[in-house]
Amino acid sequence: MKFFLVFIISWFSIAYANEAQDRTNSITKNLRCLVCEGQSVYESNSDFAKDIKTFVSKKIKEKNTDEDIYEFLISKYGEEIILNPDFSNKFIFLWIAPILFFLIGIFFIFRRSNEIR
Amino acid sequence: MIGTKIMASNFANGVLILSIFFSFLSNLFFFQKKFNLSIRLFNFSSTLIIFTFLLLIYFFYSSNFSIAAVYENSHTLKPIFYKIAGTWGNHEGSLLLFIVIIAVYGSLFSILFNKAESEKFKSWVIFFQNNLFLIFLIFLITTSNPFDIIIPRPIEGLGLNPILQDPLLVIHPPFLYLGYVGFSLTLSLVLSGLVNKNLNSNWAIISWPWVMIAWVFLTIGITLGSVWAYYELGWGGYWFWDPVENASLMPWLAGTALIHSMLVLKLKNQMKSWTSLLAIITFSFSLLGTFLVRSGVLNSVHAFANDPDRGVFILMIIFIITLSSLIIHILFSEKNKPITNFFLSKESFVNLNNLFLLFFLFVVLLGTIYPIILSIFDQTISVGPVYYNTILAPFVFIFLILMSLGPLLKWSNKIKLQALYIYIFIFILCLVLSIIIIVLSNSYDLILFLGIASSLFLIFSILSEIYKGSIRIKPFYLPRLLSHMGVGIFFLSIFLNSYYSYTKDFEIKINETKNFDNLSLKFVDHSIGKIENYLEMKTKFEIRSGKEVFNLEPSVRKYFQPNQITSETSIKPTFFSNYYLAINFPDSQSIILGARYYYNYLIHGIWLGLLLIIFGGFLSVFKKRI
Repeated sequence: MKFFLVFIISWFSIAYANEAQDRTNSITKNLRCLVCEGQSVYESNSDFAKDIKTFVSKKIKEKNTDEDIYEFLISKYGEEIILNPDFSNKFIFLWIAPILFFLIGIFFIFRRSNEIR
Repeated sequence: MIGTKIMASNFANGVLILSIFFSFLSNLFFFQKKFNLSIRLFNFSSTLIIFTFLLLIYFFYSSNFSIAAVYENSHTLKPIFYKIAGTWGNHEGSLLLFIVIIAVYGSLFSILFNKAESEKFKSWVIFFQNNLFLIFLIFLITTSNPFDIIIPRPIEGLGLNPILQDPLLVIHPPFLYLGYVGFSLTLSLVLSGLVNKNLNSNWAIISWPWVMIAWVFLTIGITLGSVWAYYELGWGGYWFWDPVENASLMPWLAGTALIHSMLVLKLKNQMKSWTSLLAIITFSFSLLGTFLVRSGVLNSVHAFANDPDRGVFILMIIFIITLSSLIIHILFSEKNKPITNFFLSKESFVNLNNLFLLFFLFVVLLGTIYPIILSIFDQTISVGPVYYNTILAPFVFIFLILMSLGPLLKWSNKIKLQALYIYIFIFILCLVLSIIIIVLSNSYDLILFLGIASSLFLIFSILSEIYKGSIRIKPFYLPRLLSHMGVGIFFLSIFLNSYYSYTKDFEIKINETKNFDNLSLKFVDHSIGKIENYLEMKTKFEIRSGKEVFNLEPSVRKYFQPNQITSETSIKPTFFSNYYLAINFPDSQSIILGARYYYNYLIHGIWLGLLLIIFGGFLSVFKKRI
């Protein structure tokens, strides 16, 4: 029974450790390494990236949410640390423009097609 | 001794100037309508430039450090192979290679194209090619002369970026250049066609092999870069949406649209003005790629040897070439009344193909330059892979389905819908298969489902086409069948790879074992040794993955000149997947080693798909008549 309990606890701690690691990875993959050229924090081995990785995993151990961590990092390093654009105002053009481009193209192709007329 | 070295540089500079002189003369005689002489002078001028390139290779080979380009990018400790490769591993040398390729394409065309009745067309092609040649030659001499000398001669060179010391990287840039510089001839062909008012099906037949060969080289170049990134960078991936990767993808997308519109021109004598516009766009994006890589406006692993001043020059050159090409396009393009097509005809589907490819191009362009534009307004943002994947994925599904249907339709004619019934059946079959795959692997995801279904549909529709013509597939269709099959396998592998691969990051001590669900990694052994021009730390891991047990032996290298660390990954390939391990260089004397383990599913499928695309394109170069 005791053995069983130890097993369960250790299994949970491994599972928890893995989950924490996954969260760290998913956050650091979305952070830009500011001292490197075109790498994410996750991919980089620079001192800066190492510090950020340690910081993120520490914050996760302290039970901070992803939003808290992002907020803190943005307040410290500015928005450029975020690697992937979201749907906020600054990026809206990135999402809208291609769709417009496509719709205009479709319009021209349909205008040239016989059956639609 | 020093005297002869300086003489070598003066001699090379002399040849460069002579080459410019003959290129000018070629223009002069062209305007005097002495076409034959003008072509010969161009050929002479390109022979001279090829000679200077060989000379530069020799200087790199013999480590002649009185030449600045050699001093800055080479080192006596470097292996001979990489000394020679150093010739194009820097800005000056690669620009000279760029010019050499313009020259080679032009000269080959002048030698291989011999139709008495098209003498005027040919000399106009060479005229345009000669002027592209001249523009870049002047740029080379004024801003980036590879033969600048240093006095006194330094004893030792500064070394080549070690990440570039890889056999794949030695051949990757020349192929890439053969690709997008190859589109210079496409531009010359189009401009000559416009001026001579013979941009018709005959023009498309003449130009086809020249456009295709450039396209094939570009595809090979991009593939080599991707394979290199996979093995050398140690990040487990094959494409990172890095701005420089994007820079090579943009001309590829435009070029792919171009070859499809050229098909319509060849067979139906339509889409003339559109084809010429696409050719201009394709070469402009090739130049834009050069600008992005060379100017230093980008943060990227590739942007070596950059300089903002040169960037301004390159930007001006792009502007001049694109603008003058567009003016010629507007002045000479034939105004024919718009032709309408049946919606279910091949013409319409080629239009759709062009729209989708240009849409992909637009997304890649926007993602690449948006951060640059915002940085002008003091806002720093970055656009990562999630953007590209999110916006491209839904369009890729539709693109694959249209790609399956397009070739089944008829030119300028409505197809009987009954002929497509069998494909409705195939489509349902693909949906069922995808559901089975998803249920069996227990990964319920809409993107994965649509991805598998649409790429399977492309693969099956091609298989059914092959089956229908089973006795003997007409060689006529073979290139398209192969390339499109490649695209199907490529995307199927990408979707499966992105869902069934996984990564484990961990830190490990010697003799320690890390356990994950179905996987255990044991750090067995390590050693450090000095090899040629670097220090290498070798490690040995024992991996148990399910029932399989094997060793992986990744290493890291620390180069001395210049100081840089590169990672040598260790990969165990099996039929369906790759087990992939990369380690970090440990902090001084630290016994804890950081490592990344990747299980990469179906990565071979991606390479196979690309190979088929390349092979299909290659066959099409030699396709006699369409």
